[in-house]
Amino acid sequence: MLSDPIRLEVFKNVFAAVAEEMGVVLRKSSYSPNIKERRDYSCALFDPTGKMIAQAAHIPVHLGSMPLSVLAAIEKFKISPTADDPQATNHGFVPGDIVVLNDPYQGGTHLPDITFVSPVFTSDENKTLKLGTSEDPILLGYVASRAHHADVGGMTPGSMPVAREIIQEGLIIPPLKLFEAGRRNRAAWDLILANVRTPEERAGDLWAQIAANIRGGIRLQEITAKYGIDQVHFFMQELLSYTESMTRHLLAKIPDGIYEFEDFLDGDGIIDKPISIAVRIMIAGDEAEVDFSESAPQQSGSVNAVYAITLSAVYYVFRCLIGLDVPNNSGCLVPIKVIAEPGSVVNALPPAPVAGGNVETSQRIVDVLLGALAKAVPDKIPAASQGTMNNITIGGWDPNKGRSFTYYETIGGGIGARIDADGPSGMHSHMTNTLNTPVEALEYAYPLQVIQYGIRENSGGFGKYCGGDGLIREIESLVESQVTLLTERRRLPPYGLSGGDPGSLGENQIIESGKEKVLRGKGTNVLKAGDRLVVKTPGGGGFGSED
Amino acid sequence: MANTGEAHQALKIGVDIGGTFTDFVIYNPANGELITSKRLSTPNNPAQAVLDGLNEILDDYELKPSEVVITHGSTVATNALLERKGSRTALVTTKGFRDLLEIGRQDRPELYTLSVKSRPQLIPRELRFEVHERVNHLGEILVPLDLDELSELITKIDDENLEAIAVCLLFSFNAPEHENVIADELRRAGYFVSVSNEILPEYREFERTSTTVINAYVTPVLDRYLGVLEESISNIAGSFHLRIMQSNGGIISLREARQSGVRCILSGPAGGVVAASHIGRMAQFDWENQNTGLEASSNLSLITFDMGGTSTDVSLVEGVPVVTTETIVGDYPIKIPVLDIHTIGAGGGSIAKVDEGGALRVGPESAGADPGPACYNHGSQEHDLPTVTDANVVLGRLPVDHFLGGEFHLDRSRAQEVMRNLGEKIGQDQIGAALGVVDVINAHMVRAIRLVSIERGYDPEDFALLSFGGAGGLHASDLARQLGIPKVIIPPLASTLSAFGMLSADVIKDYSLTVMLPGETPQTRILDAFSEIEQKGQKDMHNEGFASENINLKRTLDLRYLGQSFELNIPFSEDYLANFHRTHHDVYGYSLPEAEVELVNIRLRAIGKIEAPTITPLPLGYDRPDQAYLEEREVFLTDEHELIPLFRGELLIHGNSVPGPAIIVRKDTTILLLKNDSLVVDRFGNLIITHSELD
Repeated sequence: MLSDPIRLEVFKNVFAAVAEEMGVVLRKSSYSPNIKERRDYSCALFDPTGKMIAQAAHIPVHLGSMPLSVLAAIEKFKISPTADDPQATNHGFVPGDIVVLNDPYQGGTHLPDITFVSPVFTSDENKTLKLGTSEDPILLGYVASRAHHADVGGMTPGSMPVAREIIQEGLIIPPLKLFEAGRRNRAAWDLILANVRTPEERAGDLWAQIAANIRGGIRLQEITAKYGIDQVHFFMQELLSYTESMTRHLLAKIPDGIYEFEDFLDGDGIIDKPISIAVRIMIAGDEAEVDFSESAPQQSGSVNAVYAITLSAVYYVFRCLIGLDVPNNSGCLVPIKVIAEPGSVVNALPPAPVAGGNVETSQRIVDVLLGALAKAVPDKIPAASQGTMNNITIGGWDPNKGRSFTYYETIGGGIGARIDADGPSGMHSHMTNTLNTPVEALEYAYPLQVIQYGIRENSGGFGKYCGGDGLIREIESLVESQVTLLTERRRLPPYGLSGGDPGSLGENQIIESGKEKVLRGKGTNVLKAGDRLVVKTPGGGGFGSED
Repeated sequence: MANTGEAHQALKIGVDIGGTFTDFVIYNPANGELITSKRLSTPNNPAQAVLDGLNEILDDYELKPSEVVITHGSTVATNALLERKGSRTALVTTKGFRDLLEIGRQDRPELYTLSVKSRPQLIPRELRFEVHERVNHLGEILVPLDLDELSELITKIDDENLEAIAVCLLFSFNAPEHENVIADELRRAGYFVSVSNEILPEYREFERTSTTVINAYVTPVLDRYLGVLEESISNIAGSFHLRIMQSNGGIISLREARQSGVRCILSGPAGGVVAASHIGRMAQFDWENQNTGLEASSNLSLITFDMGGTSTDVSLVEGVPVVTTETIVGDYPIKIPVLDIHTIGAGGGSIAKVDEGGALRVGPESAGADPGPACYNHGSQEHDLPTVTDANVVLGRLPVDHFLGGEFHLDRSRAQEVMRNLGEKIGQDQIGAALGVVDVINAHMVRAIRLVSIERGYDPEDFALLSFGGAGGLHASDLARQLGIPKVIIPPLASTLSAFGMLSADVIKDYSLTVMLPGETPQTRILDAFSEIEQKGQKDMHNEGFASENINLKRTLDLRYLGQSFELNIPFSEDYLANFHRTHHDVYGYSLPEAEVELVNIRLRAIGKIEAPTITPLPLGYDRPDQAYLEEREVFLTDEHELIPLFRGELLIHGNSVPGPAIIVRKDTTILLLKNDSLVVDRFGNLIITHSELD
């Protein structure tokens, strides 16, 4: 039994409100459609040790990875005891510091995701309440915001290239203090903006993240003024225990045993050779071990996932199974041990490129987790959904407007059928939920014309219940342009369950003067004026045999 | 006053049909009299309750029919949409895009679920027809419409036994010819046709299609209902004026409403907000008048709070009710301007339970009206579930013998039983459990109200909380404290506020057009763009009975920096660009004066002023509320009980002041004053609650 079920629920709301409000501030004040309209961002609140206490429900792929960003910032700046000063154990932050980072190998996920971490201290107002014994401000916790920026430099517009090393993917920002004691580090700021393609837009979005962090900090200070620092810290820990116990309840309901599943990525964009993602889930009582040791080693192409991505996928799956509206916090993963070999495709090491790990490999990790759990709780698990985000980037020169353009889009597909229902069609699944660009908005903005955007009939896997259908999006380029595709499930289809058929494979084509040419799942191609790109997204798997 | 084509002294009747009651508010301008009445609603034939009520009123006042102006709010269109009982509808759209309606924005409504649900279909795929045609973003026709194909299409449609057709083609707002040709043909064939360039000539095809389709889907149903109503009223009343409340907070003639049901979707709740804004303005005038002797100078800022049994509606009034173009009703977006009303899934009937992790949750499940809270004594006792209302009963905050004016006695022992059971699960006695339930529901409300305000760019501290709805009075003061809101207003007409709002609303019509021009466009060019919709606005307002000099046209522009995907609505003036940069800075924290600006939409709001009822101020009474005092009651404000006074709200008079803690019982609501609260009654009968900083 928890100490105070009422206060616990009250604090659940209080902390969640901080993260939600940060999200609102970020979305409202951001500049670019990717954040404002596609809502590719997340905000969260952390305790003084970097454990996530509350995250607003934004993007699942950010779930498990946000705490690693905060830990990376803490690790980078902490002051350890030295021979000179054996007493020194300090976090190394002062009020007004803000850390920025995007390095996937130091707390990031892929380069376009830029994260801001702010330590939050007691305010002067808190001090008058005699909350602390010392004169110095006390660390209350951290707030962090992450947003997917439309471009962070690198070899192609949009910074989602088919690369061979991370250095080609864009600007790498290790954890650094962009603000020190409230003063902006102008050199770092200018350096960042000098390395991106659309600096004005980036500046607007960076300011939006800063505004979100500042707002989150103020709210945490207000809460502390109202309830006192002891209560705030006490209920942070209580909420971690609460979510942990919700996970334990869930795990206890899953039959003990070992459940294995393997599925494959089509290829890494350089060689079309299937890449294994294999998981072995051991459930024992109210604990679980999720072991990816049998997965493939890291690849030359950009499908590598850093550990944060793998953690997010595990988090997402168990979070869905809990079902209830529980706080998104670090307590969720306490009873779950995640093993991923360093140097593997699910825990890549530098200098492996990682752009697609976030958007594609994360989906496959979810597929294998669900595939394994389907053996344990078959009535709870749907067949595979499309298993890709169908990333498209089209860029080039717009002669009418006299400037270059970059159009980035992800496309929905079929959702897997489940034990009692067909899967929906034409939707984003699992690790993403971003919106599409309206056809009319797209044609105003770019020298492109959409020929067709519709449901791809009969692409869902058949079964007692059918998988959802994929989509067809056909775009004509009115000028010469370059198209980069980062897509999956073009060679190996989304699986069905309990005898249901797999969903249809996705297909990428170019129509050149009426002739169709099939494209590889990943790669860059040139579209001449009048050529059309056709992307047919995969269907979801079926559930149960038809009779 | 405007010449509205109505006799100035005509009796004005506002009618609002709710789920349980049909409310009437009757205003007699001749003597300033304001009377309310209620009848049970007749859900199978909603017009029946309206007719019976009107008959009674006409008899009571011995009125000649031509002297009546009726304004009506109805949920007919809303229910048709929510219950999927609209007309059998087809969609005609551009080749290649018939699935737009199904795909939407390709996102799923719920993030963390493995049971993803499809958007319920308003129009099945086989009734979504494509035509070969294409217009581009410049309004150039790339593929002309094929008339032979069109006649084949009409033959196909004729086989389907349809009632209504929505027509929405890509970029039709730039070149409406194709849509209009199709619409003309279909109208000739006898269908009700909803055309996107008439309903919402703005870019973003999914939202435009959705709005156009909803109009096709609900209008025939609303039309039938209004037809029956009109005919039956004319049987008893001969000639009369009937107007309908729209979702944008304005009213519209019957003839217009019968063509555009989508504009009446949120008719009922809009009435409440309009009334709240009207009452708030009077109350504010009153208190500012007392303080300074001058006319109200500051802008009226209200958060309206309508807490009912299963849900709570919150909206903001900033001078006028805040309007949005981003509403979703029944999973479908409606992009025409509507009052921005946010619904929170919590109310007096919300059920408390302890979850697997040991936390005390309240809602989102609700006991509804039937069986309702345990204290309603409706269902069998073994199925009783603890609700917020039960918690308030156990704490003595909701006196069991004064509920609904004492007509409905609440069962305290059943409330105590459920709270005791709940308490056992969390290591509390019944009082501790009840206090916990109230704390948790208030925490939900605070979070939701703050989010609603902040999402709209406001800080709740700058607002007054206007509470109506039955369950709000017990929570309003505590919520205001937690949100830093300095003042709570509880109006006297709380339970018939929507009907009252119908009488205070102006005639309003909104127009818009996507133009997508550079921000630097010469003003004459912008005025040109306005001229067409202005003529339309003038004409429509003439048809509503207004002379040109009484029509107020408000021009605004939707502007953004090039590359952004969202717009700010800025009044059209000489220096609209400077205004845009300034507003961007105010709302988003930065501006980019050097960056290119884009003019996305032009908007026009045409307003025909209606004289709102003036409430005759009450004479000033004594400070002491002795005439309203009932007795002292044992109440739990904390875990210690104390004796606090009980007052009958109906007996309070202007000038009375009541210090907290106290409870005010009224027929429509019960109001809790906390320690250090103080209540005064203003000259319109509003209860104004403030609290001192001391706790």
